[in-house]
Amino acid sequence: MLRRFRLEEPRSIAEVSELLGRFGDSAKVYAGGTELLLAMKEGFVQFERLVNVKGVTGLNEVKQNNGEVHIGALSTHRELENSPILKEKVPALAKLEKNVANVRVRQVGTLGGNLCFAEPHADPGTLLIALEARLVAEKGDRKREIAAESFFVDAYETALEPDEVLTQIIVPVPAQPSGICYMKFGYLERPSVGLAVAVKLNTAKTEIDDIRIAVGCAGPAPKRVAEAEALLKGKSLDEATRNIPQAGETSGRASQAISDLHGAQDYKEHIVQVLLKRSFQSALSQCT
Amino acid sequence: MQFEKQVEINAPREKVWNFIWDVDRFIACVPGCKEAKTIEEGKRYSAIMVEKVGPFKVEFPTTIEVLEREELSRIKAQASGADNKIGSRMKLDLEVKLREEDNKTVLQFVAGVDILGKLAALGHGIIKRKADQVLDEFAQAVKKRLEGDL
Repeated sequence: MLRRFRLEEPRSIAEVSELLGRFGDSAKVYAGGTELLLAMKEGFVQFERLVNVKGVTGLNEVKQNNGEVHIGALSTHRELENSPILKEKVPALAKLEKNVANVRVRQVGTLGGNLCFAEPHADPGTLLIALEARLVAEKGDRKREIAAESFFVDAYETALEPDEVLTQIIVPVPAQPSGICYMKFGYLERPSVGLAVAVKLNTAKTEIDDIRIAVGCAGPAPKRVAEAEALLKGKSLDEATRNIPQAGETSGRASQAISDLHGAQDYKEHIVQVLLKRSFQSALSQCT
Repeated sequence: MQFEKQVEINAPREKVWNFIWDVDRFIACVPGCKEAKTIEEGKRYSAIMVEKVGPFKVEFPTTIEVLEREELSRIKAQASGADNKIGSRMKLDLEVKLREEDNKTVLQFVAGVDILGKLAALGHGIIKRKADQVLDEFAQAVKKRLEGDL
């Protein structure tokens, strides 16, 4: 049962930040509420105050700006799945959003809420790391950008300061020829392994000019696997393909997979290897 | 969940042993442990364990019972507590062993931790990782405190 709490209705980011600073641990930002309210109903967490950020205007827009897509943190998964800009500029992210949980969650759950709650079995963080996304955090009149790969500290823990508010997610539009793929494996709606590959080829399309690999869901937080990228970057397509099994093993170990009801550690590491191979092939096929 | 930790301390065994029984100093090394009290010297103690994973916070009022004690070498203890707000219980079986090696003391912990109730739904993996971190921090804090005193 949901216990009594006070609902604050700020109208600006500065007000949100001030409320969070004033009430500390007893207050929490409330965006879509799909994870927070569930945890509160179950009695896992209790907050005296919820700070409803949905009254702050302008935080659910998707815009193009100098070769980047700026996504308001309050954009729902459903809005992003249907966003014409996202579908055109970063279709892999629109596709991921279309497969988040179920339609009820997508209708109210927000991208910002998903990232800030930092539930380990969430999809978007992994792809955003591969896309070199930056997350904009605001507090009063101060604004800073956090690289997606530095945002996730641990399970349910992020790099946000207690009175900082995530306002925007900035995704660079991938330069061509490039391919991006996110794949996940899991039971029903809950992914137990997620893996993202963003590959960019040289203009002759003979070599891997740049590659980013990120793995999530298996461990406590999504993370970039630079060691696996190093095995593929600058290599010819044939050589990179030969190195994929090794890159898969490296990614599996880097995932910090945790044994649980969804599978043992070694099983999840194996799934990471399989997903890397498939995602790499899929990303390459988009470069033609 | 079973855990095993070992830490090498640059201090004589007697000093380490005495430190373990100095409740206030020892408890200060347990992350999230507060309000430690001696109920019966050498046998029963109480404390409050507070742990946090992101927004999830648990508070276990805990009783600790010393079951076996072999002077300078081994302690077997059991601790249990319940967080009624969240509806979860914690049980810990702990064995502490001391041995001397090259003028150092090797302190070994073997711990069996059971978490029951709603908290368990957070996921076995997450809880195991947290418990592992707590034990690591604890072992390092004991080492630091004892070696710092030399």
